[in-house]
Amino acid sequence: MTDLTPTTAFGVSAPRDERHGALTLSERTDIALATLALRAGTEPPTALPEPGEATDAAVWLAPGQWMLMAPGEAETDFAARVAATAPGCSVTEQTDGWVIVDIDGPAAAIETLRERLVNLPPSALAPGRGTRTVLHHVGIIAIRPAPDRLTIMAMRSYAGSLWHALATAADRTT
Amino acid sequence: MKRIDGGLIDRSQPMNFRFDGRRYSGFAGDTLASALLANGVTLMGRSFKYHRPRGVMTAGSEEPNALVELRDGARREPNTRATMAELFDGLTATSQNRWPTLGFDALAVNDLFAPFLTAGFYYKTFMWPQAFWEKIYEPIIRRAAGLGSLSMLPDPDAYDRGYLHCDLLVIGSGAAGLAAALTAATAGAEVVLAEEDFRLGGRMLAETERLDGTPAHEWVAETEAALRGMPNVRILPRTTVFGAYDHGIFGAVERVGDHLERAAVRQRIWRITARRSILAAGAIERPIAFAGNDRPGVMLAGAVRTYLNRYAVAPEGRVAVFTSSDDGHRTALDLIATGVPVLAVIDPREDAPRFGDYTVMAGATVTGTIGRKALKAIEVTAADGSADWLECRTLAVSGGWNPTLHLSAHHRGKPAWDDTIHAFVPGGELPPGMSVAGGAAGKGGLASALADGADKAKQALKALGIRAKRVDLPGAEDAPAALSPVWHIPGKGRAWVDFQNDVTVKDIALAQRENMVSVEHLKRWTTLGMATDQGKTANVTALAVMAELTGKTIPETGTTTYRPPFSPVSLGALAGGDPGKHFRPTRLTPTHHWAEARGAVFVEAGQWLRAQYFPQPGETHWRESVDREAKAVRAGVGLCDVTTLGKIDVQGPDAGAFLDRVYSNGMASLAVGRVRYGLMLREDGIAYDDGTCARLAEDHYVVTTTTANAGLVYRNMEFARQGLFPDLDVQIVSSTDAWAQIAVAGPKSRDLLTRIVDDADLSNEAFSFMACAAVTVANGLRARLFRISFSGELAYEIAVPARYGAALMARLMELGADLGVTPYGTEALGVLRIEKGHAAGSELNGQTTAAMLGLGRMVSTKKDSIGAVLSRREALAADTRRLVGLSPIDPEARVVPGAHLFAETAERRIDTSEGWITSACHSPHLGHSIGLGFLADGAARMGEIVVADNPVEGGQIRVKVVSPHFIDPEGGRQRD
Repeated sequence: MTDLTPTTAFGVSAPRDERHGALTLSERTDIALATLALRAGTEPPTALPEPGEATDAAVWLAPGQWMLMAPGEAETDFAARVAATAPGCSVTEQTDGWVIVDIDGPAAAIETLRERLVNLPPSALAPGRGTRTVLHHVGIIAIRPAPDRLTIMAMRSYAGSLWHALATAADRTT
Repeated sequence: MKRIDGGLIDRSQPMNFRFDGRRYSGFAGDTLASALLANGVTLMGRSFKYHRPRGVMTAGSEEPNALVELRDGARREPNTRATMAELFDGLTATSQNRWPTLGFDALAVNDLFAPFLTAGFYYKTFMWPQAFWEKIYEPIIRRAAGLGSLSMLPDPDAYDRGYLHCDLLVIGSGAAGLAAALTAATAGAEVVLAEEDFRLGGRMLAETERLDGTPAHEWVAETEAALRGMPNVRILPRTTVFGAYDHGIFGAVERVGDHLERAAVRQRIWRITARRSILAAGAIERPIAFAGNDRPGVMLAGAVRTYLNRYAVAPEGRVAVFTSSDDGHRTALDLIATGVPVLAVIDPREDAPRFGDYTVMAGATVTGTIGRKALKAIEVTAADGSADWLECRTLAVSGGWNPTLHLSAHHRGKPAWDDTIHAFVPGGELPPGMSVAGGAAGKGGLASALADGADKAKQALKALGIRAKRVDLPGAEDAPAALSPVWHIPGKGRAWVDFQNDVTVKDIALAQRENMVSVEHLKRWTTLGMATDQGKTANVTALAVMAELTGKTIPETGTTTYRPPFSPVSLGALAGGDPGKHFRPTRLTPTHHWAEARGAVFVEAGQWLRAQYFPQPGETHWRESVDREAKAVRAGVGLCDVTTLGKIDVQGPDAGAFLDRVYSNGMASLAVGRVRYGLMLREDGIAYDDGTCARLAEDHYVVTTTTANAGLVYRNMEFARQGLFPDLDVQIVSSTDAWAQIAVAGPKSRDLLTRIVDDADLSNEAFSFMACAAVTVANGLRARLFRISFSGELAYEIAVPARYGAALMARLMELGADLGVTPYGTEALGVLRIEKGHAAGSELNGQTTAAMLGLGRMVSTKKDSIGAVLSRREALAADTRRLVGLSPIDPEARVVPGAHLFAETAERRIDTSEGWITSACHSPHLGHSIGLGFLADGAARMGEIVVADNPVEGGQIRVKVVSPHFIDPEGGRQRD
């Protein structure tokens, strides 16, 4: 076990967690990430979401490509474990490539937030759905795991700008 | 004017406000205009050019006259239409374009010079000297003939944006809009209903018409309640749809907090994507041009009804109506019903009807007015030509109604002329998916509008594939219109057509005589239809006058172009919520906070912030810091965060073959565990990016790009993968942010890394120059180690998961203290690479080839790659300019990038320029300034002296052409 001390995308030791308006924004540093892409003639090692869909464990990104998510495994070599179980697939470590923010609160406030942030019809972020899109000029992955939760992922280096955009919009929800 | 009983205002909520410093009161539900009228204030502004006193003319967004400055201090908003400003307690408004006061305006002297201030006045008068225009004439004109003034302070309010998607967007909530929204919503369609006003209902709030025997506004309230109860309906009051854009996208601005003294959000821009849309924006009444028709007290007949019925504000004193249709007679009837005596209805029609107990002057016209700050009397010329002055305080004018078709023409559809209503109606090609209903389509009668709204909604539902359900609409009747159009009354005095821009019939006539007959020329020559109201009350009348003058029909005369925005949109709303630091996103490196704590100075590199240098105590100039950092690298070991360089993970059985086609040099032949420098060309053969490519496994490479081009290279590679070479089995994904990457450079870098890499054997034999490997550091943390060098020294780059980046940097600093480890920034990085002669962005500037960079042999002829063939085309291949080093003859002289290179004896002109300097710096290693540049036939001119001339900043120096490798040209340092 390494004796180096990790920092979050915001450069501190503890995940960021704040309440804004009717919503709570929580940084998730525990989720391990890896992209999985199918090679010619390979099948997905397990059932993976259809385009526009997301589960707790995966979100569709592009034809034959998914982002796999494993809560609690961020400190492990998740990509290596996935690669071992997915022969014939291209697997890339992404754990620290993304800042992940869970937005929790009443469904109505989450709908309002969605409406202010991303140019998507409500159905694209209905519970169980997820997609890549753009928010405040930042490319993101947006997932709606449940009516009362929206998860936004952006490239780690954008963490400060993403948080500003989310918090500003959330402050205006009631 | 005075307040009477009734109306749709809330008398339980009195509100105080100020206008020009005086205190007044009104009620919730008032606009600033209605509240001022209720307080007897009729003078609300001064005209643009002549500074003539003006009162409110309309009750809507088309208002040309009553423009005020709303609020004060930094929140001051000029050119606000008093008719659109919803009253709130504490509202402050000031009149504008007057000096010193609204009542006495010194610039009203302009009115005396009116004969000179005619159409095209500026163009004719301020012709010479040309140099005077920008500095003298224009500022004077702008000061004298202005609208409101800006606060010149940053806008302290917050603005917001949002996105809506719906089946049907209904624009306008009058009879047609409500019927359409109700019909579509009942059928289950997702409906957005946008209303410019703060209250739904359109003209139904202003008229006394009944629906099924009850006042129309009661049906409005019931319908609104029903719509609000439906989850598939979104009602947006105070929202102006200002533009119809491509693909069913509309721009709308919601005045979220304009009616509040303070609000968290002032305005919100909505981008609405609608599968279908119904434009139900109603119609705008048009004035009649007659002499002196601009005096405060001359109002549109429909506006008089709005103030009377909706705002409970009635004219004081004698009132006359001037109308050329039955519609204007309604004003007389409504006035009489509220007990206001009507002097007469002046109706130019010989057979003018009479609908009630009032005097009708058939065949008569209004031919003049008097009253400086308020109307005192009108001159009425009877059918027999006899003229009489009648005392009169308010004149209600109606020249017919123009459909509010603006949005229907935003895709350049040309409106069509309708001979029955004597107005333009939507025509030509409408924006896809749009239909027009009610008054906006020329069907403004209450019954017609209700029916048309429902019909258009049913058609939209059919197109959407949604089955319509039965909706019961109330019974109504169309009020009679029977318009026989009268555009202007001939006569001597000035008859206003465009009130906001002070354009009269005479100006149009002069423009016609000067051959400005095209409507587009007329607009520019006279300023007709310009400024904040964009001629909403003026344009059609002006066209009619021009048609009459030219002997053409109105449709032959044509309309000017309709463009967004329909009405003014504040720049704050358009700019969105973050005008400052967060206007665009910022990217921070994993060691950003660590560097910040050490006092680093940061520089923007695209969206990234990178440490530029790390000032130490005692260093007073940036170059002291940079020289120290660069020297530390050459003498010991330095650390630099290079995370910003793009990392693209390339995997798959055909990864090597794919990279062979993307890079100009070969990558398939690269051995596992090795790194190769690579060059990428654009399709046209020009070099565009370089970097290293590491082979981690047989089917796994990591491509490194420059910071600036990370996104571009990834996009191009994705395009190549999907579009050019779909037959190759290769997968790519960006992993730039996943890994924190730190350059460890300098002769002691190996010593330092040996202390942190687990079980390290970093000897030259085990890990030679251009090797790479997966390793672990600091007791088991997975890492990637590359032996590559940008500085020319023994150097490595080490990558760890980004969350450990700051800790790795801190640990390296700690472990290297005895080695003199020094963090360095992008400035020292630049110095080191110039000293080594490595190309960077200044050399890869989109104009240079591989050969020019001295990398000609990297364009492999053994394989094809993107840009390879075109790189060999004659024009590029013939370019003899080559990258050279430049050393000043005078060691004190400074080499300046951008300077051009000339032979010593040549005359210095752009056509004798032999090249230019791309990069330059002070070399702490050599102790003088050095540069890199491209020079014609440069490779063959080593030792020659040329002149670097910098005509932009002035100055020229003699420089010696040398190898670009100022440091260790043999490359021994990085290999040993």
